[in-house]
Amino acid sequence: MLAHQIAMENPAMVLAEGVGATDFQELSQDYGISSVPDTVINDGAGRVVGAVPEQNMLAEIMRTIGK
Amino acid sequence: MEKLLSDSISSQVREVFQQLKNPVQVMLFISQAQAEACDITRQLLEEVVELSDNLNLIVYDLAVEPELARLYKVAGKAPAIVMAAREGTQITDYGIRLLGVPSGHEFGTLIQDLLLVAGRDSGLSPQLRTYIKGLSKPLHLEVFVTPT
Repeated sequence: MLAHQIAMENPAMVLAEGVGATDFQELSQDYGISSVPDTVINDGAGRVVGAVPEQNMLAEIMRTIGK
Repeated sequence: MEKLLSDSISSQVREVFQQLKNPVQVMLFISQAQAEACDITRQLLEEVVELSDNLNLIVYDLAVEPELARLYKVAGKAPAIVMAAREGTQITDYGIRLLGVPSGHEFGTLIQDLLLVAGRDSGLSPQLRTYIKGLSKPLHLEVFVTPT
C-alpha cells in the first residue's frame, strides 16, 4: 500500500492506516466514503479517490500540507 | 477449530515468505466491543505468523493496555494491526497500520505489508522519499478499502 510505503520514510511524522470500511462503518460514513480505495489526508483536508501513481499522491499531499 | 486459511493459500504464502529476510513484530490490538472481528483477525494472524520464522505476534487488549494503545495511536480502534521492524529486542514502528479484519483483498495487502516491513525499504522514488523525509508537519493517511 502506497500510504504504508510513505509512512516508512518518516514514521515520526506519518501515520498510514489501511481502513476496512466494513468494520469501520461510522468512520467511513463520517467521511462520506463511496468508492474505494479512498485516501483521506489529515482528517479530510485532502483526498485522493482511486489507486493512483506516486506522483498523484505526492501532488495531493503537497497541496494539502504545503511544500 | 477449523483453519481460516486453506492448505493451498498457506503453502503459497509460506513460499512467498521465503523472501522475508528480517524479523517483523506484528501487534494486534483487540477489544471486547468488536469481539467477533477481533477473534477472526487473531486467528488469521496466528495462522499467517506460523508461516515464517521471522514473524512474531503479540496480542494486546485496548482496555488492559491503554498506554500502549496511545503510544501506537490505536486507541479506540479494534481490530488494529501494527507491523513493526524488530531487531533483537528493539522494535521500530514504521507508522503502518491495518484496521479491521484483513479479509479478501486486504489479505493480500497484509502479506505485502509484512514483506515491505521485512525488506526495511519503502521502494519509493527518490523524489517522494526526499519530500516525505523533509516533512515538518504531521501527515495522517487513512486509506479506506473494502474486503472484496
